[in-house]
Amino acid sequence: MNTQRKNYDVVVIGGGITGAGTARDCAMRGLKVLLVERYDFSTGATGRNHGLLHSGARYAVTDPDSATECIQENMILRKIARHCVEETEGLFITLPEDDLNYQATFVQKCTEAGIRAEIIDPKLAKIMEPAVNPEIIGAVKIPDASVDPFRLTMANVLDAQLHGAEVLVYHEVVELIIEQTRVVGVKLRNNHNGETFNVYASITINAAGIWGTLIAQMAGVKINMFPAKGSLLIFGHRVNNMVINRCRKPANADILVPDDAVCVIGTTSDRVPIEECDYMRVTPEEVEVLLTEGMKLAPSLGTTRILRAYAGVRPLVASDDDPTGRSISRGIVTLDHEKRDGLAGFATITGGKMMTYRLMAEQVTDLACQKLGVTKTCQTATTPLPGSEKKPELKKYSFAQKASEGRHGTLDANVKHGDVSNDALVCECEGVSVGEVRYAVTKLHVHNLINLRRRTRVGMGTCQGELCACRTAGVMGEEDGAQRAINDLAGFMNERWKGMQPVAWGDNLAEAQLTATIYQGLLGVDKLAKERRLEYYEI
Amino acid sequence: MKFDVIIIGGGLSGLTASIALAEAGKEVALVSAGQNSLHFGSGSFDLLGFDEQGKAVSEPIAAIAQLSEKHPYKKVQDVEKLAQQAKQLLEKAKIATFGDTTSNHWRITPVGALMPTWLSVEGMVTVQEPNQMPWRKVALINIQNYLDLPTKFLAAGLRERGVEVDVKAFTLPELQALRQSPTEMRSTNIAKVIEQHNLIASVADEVNRLTSNDYDMVLLPAVLGIKSNAQADQLLQLIKTPANYVATLPPSVSGVRIATLLRKRFTELGGTFFTGDQVVEGVWEGETLKGVKTAKLDGTVLEANHFILATGSFMSRGLAADYTHVYEPALGVDVDDLGLDRTNWAKIEVTDPQPYMEMGVKTDANLHCERAGKTIANLYAVGSILSGHNTIKRLDAAGVDMLTALQVVHNIVK
Repeated sequence: MNTQRKNYDVVVIGGGITGAGTARDCAMRGLKVLLVERYDFSTGATGRNHGLLHSGARYAVTDPDSATECIQENMILRKIARHCVEETEGLFITLPEDDLNYQATFVQKCTEAGIRAEIIDPKLAKIMEPAVNPEIIGAVKIPDASVDPFRLTMANVLDAQLHGAEVLVYHEVVELIIEQTRVVGVKLRNNHNGETFNVYASITINAAGIWGTLIAQMAGVKINMFPAKGSLLIFGHRVNNMVINRCRKPANADILVPDDAVCVIGTTSDRVPIEECDYMRVTPEEVEVLLTEGMKLAPSLGTTRILRAYAGVRPLVASDDDPTGRSISRGIVTLDHEKRDGLAGFATITGGKMMTYRLMAEQVTDLACQKLGVTKTCQTATTPLPGSEKKPELKKYSFAQKASEGRHGTLDANVKHGDVSNDALVCECEGVSVGEVRYAVTKLHVHNLINLRRRTRVGMGTCQGELCACRTAGVMGEEDGAQRAINDLAGFMNERWKGMQPVAWGDNLAEAQLTATIYQGLLGVDKLAKERRLEYYEI
Repeated sequence: MKFDVIIIGGGLSGLTASIALAEAGKEVALVSAGQNSLHFGSGSFDLLGFDEQGKAVSEPIAAIAQLSEKHPYKKVQDVEKLAQQAKQLLEKAKIATFGDTTSNHWRITPVGALMPTWLSVEGMVTVQEPNQMPWRKVALINIQNYLDLPTKFLAAGLRERGVEVDVKAFTLPELQALRQSPTEMRSTNIAKVIEQHNLIASVADEVNRLTSNDYDMVLLPAVLGIKSNAQADQLLQLIKTPANYVATLPPSVSGVRIATLLRKRFTELGGTFFTGDQVVEGVWEGETLKGVKTAKLDGTVLEANHFILATGSFMSRGLAADYTHVYEPALGVDVDDLGLDRTNWAKIEVTDPQPYMEMGVKTDANLHCERAGKTIANLYAVGSILSGHNTIKRLDAAGVDMLTALQVVHNIVK
């Protein structure tokens, strides 16, 4: 055990968007920050949602505070994270089976929350979004957009680092170090080699999403969380260009979001036991609901290949006995455990939404600063994230270079383009070049192919890693040992399959068989892979 | 149009059946959609690589006898004899192979794994014993920026078995053009460039420049010879050190060549080829298939006395699955879905034996198809569309393709 004493002002627990945003805010205010994450960035709910930049309209009627927060953050993120946001706009549609009277209430509540909601002729809606159900009897246009959560998280991490924060991925908090009535640091375990060591900090911020309840438990503090599982389906191409929502009280499978080259329908909402949160599986019943309801938004989903299914867990804070969690506020919960539980040096930031991560970070950073006597104010709402400093210029680029600039914004300057070695493509579906892989591996905390997928979209396209995974592993293998890279490749194929398995019919089954034939029959990767550490969500 | 036999599907099984029937003097038509699983091949033909316990097979005939009764080989009367015939059929199509049924040899995969196999195309690298590598020092020579031969893995696989390996790469001005366009560095494109510009001598010079007497084997990516083996053979002769080819990621140039040569053989035998077309429905008279309609022939019925369904499994679209059912899309013949509902078609671990892999059309002992529970006396199924085996777990694809095809030819001709 390494007993070296390292001191920080703040340790932030959790590499989701909230933790990354908090690390950024703390670092920008001059605090000495350590961000720790037990696996990879955005492995929890951050990487397991719609990728929807909510306008807030969805919550306007049922949760007005949350709606106001959403629209304010929506407008901020369009400016500070433009390379992560696609300004698609959105529709709230009314179907014949829905109550059209709801529309008036909806628009009024939107307006009250500051959300621009405009009733449009259903005929116009069908022209604006040809994929929408032609049966619609009402449509409202609202400022929804689509956001890439992996990219957004990474941009926050990078900016935290630029402001001096240190970052440790694959480091898990196994203990909170408590002296009398104060949390003075955390005991960390390196999840790659099992080594443990202590780090010390004036304030420990718990930003671990649903797992935050377990972190708090380590200090004997009870947070009554409500783990609400949400399942989603990804379709093989982009059916719609605008976000399509149902204009009714939030229910299952009533949002369809265009993300990059695909689209995502979701979600369901069901309470799950906390111990199941590490092993989320999408059930056949959930697939059925998502498909049936999804086809009501855009009928062509019924004939579109489903790429994969996945599920995340919302870190809602329990307030009543609602079995689904639909009526629980998406509002932000900042817990000062000194005030609440008599335990100093410890704060929890939870509730909220991916959408409002920046505000969540601001609130908990304000609290930390107040405890530490730091007066510098929050700058995150006006300072662009790395990659979004300026509008991209229109240049004559190759497909891969355009794709890379789309993914990394101005940071694409770090990707080597223009020489044959770096321009070689590993992933044709998503236009990922060798140069981009090299950049991600050296600069973006990439330890394996699954990490790389989150940074570059390699293997996320229609083929789900059919050839690109092997090519990429070969390129990554330049630095890694071959055995490790092969193990990693086997892990990646398993992780890709886990998302396909619940939707293994139609074209998906054909694609899965082809991939298995290549990787197992032709290459024999399964014969070469040896004992390996399972990646989170691959378990 | 009327034929003795119509074969539906132009992969290895369909081509084998077509050629054997044409050789037997039958009037044969072959309807083929285009790409087939040979394009994802290894340059070898697997007969049975692993037994049902997952153990590597060294003597395939003995191991085939131990397979469970549902395996398609159980409908092949004399495996050894038909395997001989298969090898001869390839030879006559100018596909020279080595290997036999007495003992498997081992192919080396693009990532350096060793897999038991039956026949390998001349020039492909193989070894007789997995634990006894025949070389001390190997030069692994790739083309610069060709990512579909992951040399890192291949070299590691060989080194693990005690072989010293140097990895090197070359390029040629003519290949530069391909390298400028990042999507173009794929095996079949490289093959075309080398062929069009007649670069064999230049490639040999590069390889000779990079190697010396010190190596006892030179390995090259199998990216030569789409139409014939001539250039691939010529290159090996021009290289001063003994040299062989190693399989790449798809598309497989040797697989494309095998398909090309088999098609050529079939055409030379007078067979009729409907290419880029597919059967969309059968014309039935009671329990007899009278003819088939295709997507392109616009209502024309292709008639025959016998039909052979050789359309492959899911990946070749010979089988299809909707939300609730597995079905055979061309003729609607009965499918063995193992009695499973959709939620049990696939298992959660990717390396688990996947139930869907064993699904296929139902056949009787003579490989006749069934429709609505009734045997169709003039319709047979061959190859991967057959139920009862998991191709990637057994490594039996080429054997099942060719041997069931030859068995059906025998059943028809007798």
